[in-house]
Amino acid sequence: MATVQVSEAEKVYVMHGVRDDLRVDGRGCEDYRHMEIETDVVSNTDGSAKVSLGHTDILVGIKAEIGKPRPMVPDEGYLEFFVDCSANATPEFEGRGGEELGVELSNTLYKVFNNRHSLDLRSLCICPGEHCWVLYVDVLLLQCDGNLFDAMSIAIKAALFNTRIPKVHISEDEEGVKEIELSDDPYDCMRLNVENVPCIVTLCKIAHRHVVDATLQEKACSVASLLISVTHKGMVTCVRKLGRGSLDPDSIFEMTETGKRVGKALHAPLMELLQKEESLGKKRQKVGFLA
Amino acid sequence: MLKSKTFVKKTRAGGVMKVVREHYLRDDIWCGSEVCTECKDGAPVLQQDARVESDLCAYPHYLIPDTNVVLHQIDILEDPLIRNVIILQTVLQEVRHRSPPVYKRIKDATHEKEKHFYTFTNEHHRQTFIEREQGESINDRNDRAIRVAAKWYTEHLNKAPSVGELKVVLLTNDRANRDKAEQNGLLAYRCEEYIKSLTGNPELVDRLALTSDDQNEITGSKLLFPEHLPLSRIQAGIKSGTFLQGTFRASRDNYLEATVFVQREGDDSTEVLLQGLQNLNRAVHQDVVAVELFPKEQWVAPSSVVLQDDRPSDKETEEEEAEKKLESPVLDPSRLKPTGRVVGIIKRNWRPFCGMLNQSQIKEATRHLFTPADRRIPRIRIETRQASTLVGQRIIVAIDGWPRNSRYPNGHFVRNLGGAGDKDTETEVLLLEHDVPHQPFSQAVLSFLPKMPWGITEEVNTVWVPILFHIADVSHFIRPGNALDQEAASRGTTVYLCGKRIDMVPELLSSNLCSLRSNVERLAFSCIWEMNHKAEILNTRFTKSIINSKASLTYAEAQMRIDDASMNDDITKSLRGLNTLAKILKGQRIAKGALTLSSPEVRFHMDSETHDPIDLQTKELKDTNSMVEEFMLLANISVAQKIYEEFSECALLRKHPAPPPSNYDILIKAAKSRELEIRIDSAKALADSLNEAVLEDFPYFNTLLRILATRCMMQAVYFCSGMDSDFHHYGLASPIYTHFTSPIRRYSDIIVHRLLAVAINADSTYPDLMDKHKQSSLCNNLNYRHKMAQYAQRASVAFHTQLFFKNKGILNEEGFILFVRKNAIIILIPKFGLEGTVFFENNDKPGPRLNFDSEVGPTLTVEDQHTFHIFDRVKVTISLDASNIQHQKIRMALVEPVIPGVSVALPEPEPEAKKLKLDR
Repeated sequence: MATVQVSEAEKVYVMHGVRDDLRVDGRGCEDYRHMEIETDVVSNTDGSAKVSLGHTDILVGIKAEIGKPRPMVPDEGYLEFFVDCSANATPEFEGRGGEELGVELSNTLYKVFNNRHSLDLRSLCICPGEHCWVLYVDVLLLQCDGNLFDAMSIAIKAALFNTRIPKVHISEDEEGVKEIELSDDPYDCMRLNVENVPCIVTLCKIAHRHVVDATLQEKACSVASLLISVTHKGMVTCVRKLGRGSLDPDSIFEMTETGKRVGKALHAPLMELLQKEESLGKKRQKVGFLA
Repeated sequence: MLKSKTFVKKTRAGGVMKVVREHYLRDDIWCGSEVCTECKDGAPVLQQDARVESDLCAYPHYLIPDTNVVLHQIDILEDPLIRNVIILQTVLQEVRHRSPPVYKRIKDATHEKEKHFYTFTNEHHRQTFIEREQGESINDRNDRAIRVAAKWYTEHLNKAPSVGELKVVLLTNDRANRDKAEQNGLLAYRCEEYIKSLTGNPELVDRLALTSDDQNEITGSKLLFPEHLPLSRIQAGIKSGTFLQGTFRASRDNYLEATVFVQREGDDSTEVLLQGLQNLNRAVHQDVVAVELFPKEQWVAPSSVVLQDDRPSDKETEEEEAEKKLESPVLDPSRLKPTGRVVGIIKRNWRPFCGMLNQSQIKEATRHLFTPADRRIPRIRIETRQASTLVGQRIIVAIDGWPRNSRYPNGHFVRNLGGAGDKDTETEVLLLEHDVPHQPFSQAVLSFLPKMPWGITEEVNTVWVPILFHIADVSHFIRPGNALDQEAASRGTTVYLCGKRIDMVPELLSSNLCSLRSNVERLAFSCIWEMNHKAEILNTRFTKSIINSKASLTYAEAQMRIDDASMNDDITKSLRGLNTLAKILKGQRIAKGALTLSSPEVRFHMDSETHDPIDLQTKELKDTNSMVEEFMLLANISVAQKIYEEFSECALLRKHPAPPPSNYDILIKAAKSRELEIRIDSAKALADSLNEAVLEDFPYFNTLLRILATRCMMQAVYFCSGMDSDFHHYGLASPIYTHFTSPIRRYSDIIVHRLLAVAINADSTYPDLMDKHKQSSLCNNLNYRHKMAQYAQRASVAFHTQLFFKNKGILNEEGFILFVRKNAIIILIPKFGLEGTVFFENNDKPGPRLNFDSEVGPTLTVEDQHTFHIFDRVKVTISLDASNIQHQKIRMALVEPVIPGVSVALPEPEPEAKKLKLDR
């Protein structure tokens, strides 16, 4: 991942600031940076969203395709994740440079989102054991400025909210041959319930305290961080420790509590924003990549 | 401005795909009216004074038809009276999607200057583009688009200073659409309403197609036919194998019977028999239908009864009787055929049909039945007020639909061709019936002709080599892909009728620029052989060249020069040289097993003023004909080898498959009856045995045998070398063959020219030329057109023969029996090359006792008195039977041998014939 070089003096400065709940850019320890969200930015996907958090820029596109359900859960659809680390974000990603990170990120996303507690996977089933919708979630890192997971999770939630899956119904003829029929009205489509989709809150341990939404500079001062995915009710669905350093149980507990609080607070304004954007309808001036 | 259009579609693999297309809106699309000052249109199409005599719209107006009006009432729109019509892009797109032929017709109409049809691209106009709304079906959206465009026109034209009373009228048969349009303040009428209001031209009303609205009026009568299944069910059924898909072929002789030719995967094809009106279920000849097979117990055999649907009105009883007749039990199970019924129509292949009107017996009635010339087409009910003027005329009628409660399909009158029996009318009929495109060349096509006077500009070095064979370089003028090329490809071939020629390419090319006239420089494609005096080819070359022909000779002129010993100029000497070589070539060809077959060809001597045939003779062949033919064959073979060598996948070749041995049965039997043997194990054996089969006391016998052998042959076809493995040309005994020598009258030759030009680096290639699937579909079209041209040609000869005999009265001629049938003999009159049938059974009186023996000969014994053998010499009278004006035919009656009750007495025809001539 993109890193910055930080001198010892800078580290001390950052750590002292965090201790006094005052970060380099003036935020408190539990504050996020300025965030911008726009949905429906890529017309040839079924749902898309672009999120910028500070200078971190993420684009998520979701395509729904018909596939075969997994044999263990024949009545559920599933999600597939692919994270593309574009060389736009940092020159390190050039060639196959971003591959390893991409796989790691997508595995984490898979763990967080592809379960029936996050998303009603049953609603993705078309015909048990035969056909289901597979949501291909493509995440594109356009620019890295720390806190990728949080930005990605918000973008995915927004894109899932934006996703419209064409309605299909199964017709059956006398021989019992099932055929998928597609409604010819493009407005006739299915929406996903994103209420329970969690957001990821990454907490970085800096000195004795922890911060949310760490910048690259702050990240360089931290040895370990904790990734917590939280639903709107404050339920933790996944916890992961990242980084080389170690965390003592007390601080893990503390960090989890902070994560729950911050995550819970994140959901409400996000949903409000998405609803508001949708109510603007077609007349909304699209910003896209020109912002 | 950029918009994107999004729609979802199902992929073939069963997935669902979202497709996004960019859609640009512009504000520089003009309204096309002369009135408008706002639009900067250079040449507006729509006239300022768009006035038509009408009760409904007394003011000048522009018409905007909706999709259904264009689809169903295209015949009306094509009328010269209907002008100043705005065709919206929405309508055009829908029409294209739903009916390509109508699309082509409406496109042609918009191209005609006098019609003042304007295509308005409303889908790309910033103010008339609309997006589909939530809960709106595609049709509703399109109707709205049409209304929005009409509204825009109304408002736009009102802004013009000189608008006067000019208005825009929307034509739609959809009531909901009309109501909504009226709410929006638009003028909207039903098509019928509008046409009926045209006081100046009441005859247009007849051409209105019957729409579903009208059909509702006559419901109440019982449903005669089972319902057709929807397409989705049919497709599912075909997939699962419960239904079979095939082309419906009505029987010529029996209107209650038809077969469906089912082509399954691979070469496995079957024919399904359909019997009875219910099972035919409103399918019309050539429709693509879905059939369901009955269980084996219900299979029947094709009936041998001839049934013609000529009852005056819909009487059910007779129908049932006729059906019962069909059901005569057949004990022989081997004759049973797969039988089924039509469950649905996949694609209608209706075209306008030629035929005649049967006037209804009730006076003042407006509904009449129409009998098509083609017996395979059912009679059609049409509505017309001019029945009395149409009786005895050949007319064209189009089918509009076939409701379930109607015994006959409903149609409408399209065009009057002229009086039946009239020469021009009949020629038109046979062109239409054989699907020969014969309209004059369109402006688009003619625009690709070179400007006259035309001269050669490039410089080419000419080389002198022993034998040069030149063919006009047509491909120089017809460039791939342009309108001229497309037209030629669609026509496929020039059609020669008696006294008329329907050109494949415009006259300027066929009889001037691509005709190698003497003493004029012309572009040519040359095949150059170096040959020794044994006619062995030492070297072959092809090149494009410029030729200045020294002399252009007819076959007869050339023959005279060769024969006239006193002529010794260069041309004559070289002709003699060529003739010698040609004879050697022919000898070689025959040694290889090439067949010399014979078919009687007739040529009419036309009266120079009336163009009526006054005499006819069979064509005779001269030495020079054969000389030119030899070199043509040689050129074709050389070219075929060359293009196949260069393009093994996409060479256009011609093959003539060897006929299956069973085809020869009749020939072998016929020869056996004269103690001769025909060997058919190879073409060579056949040729030799045909040569040996000579009877000394019967000089015409050999020709008869050859005529018979011709009938055994298969049809030669074009094909693409990449799609086939058998290239053999049976008749010419050549392993490979193509057509190169007549590019002005055959499209295949143009393709061959192009291939050859690419092969010798004289021209560039283009993608379609190298695409074997495209080539193959082109070949299919060419084969179809050739077949149809042949049929048209034969029909034309037959018609002129009838004209000839009409003038001659009754004639006595000597002929030979060509075939012996169960109840008739078929006789060939060598003098006229005419074939006719003498029936021994008559409908009105009991026939004589007949005894048919198919084992030896076959032979037919009549009244136990006389036995007819094949090739017997007989005398017949020939006369024209005009009792059925639609199907006039030549009638033959037996004179000699005399069989009481069968043969007729010798009439005294001579004075009568003379009198007839004087009368004219």
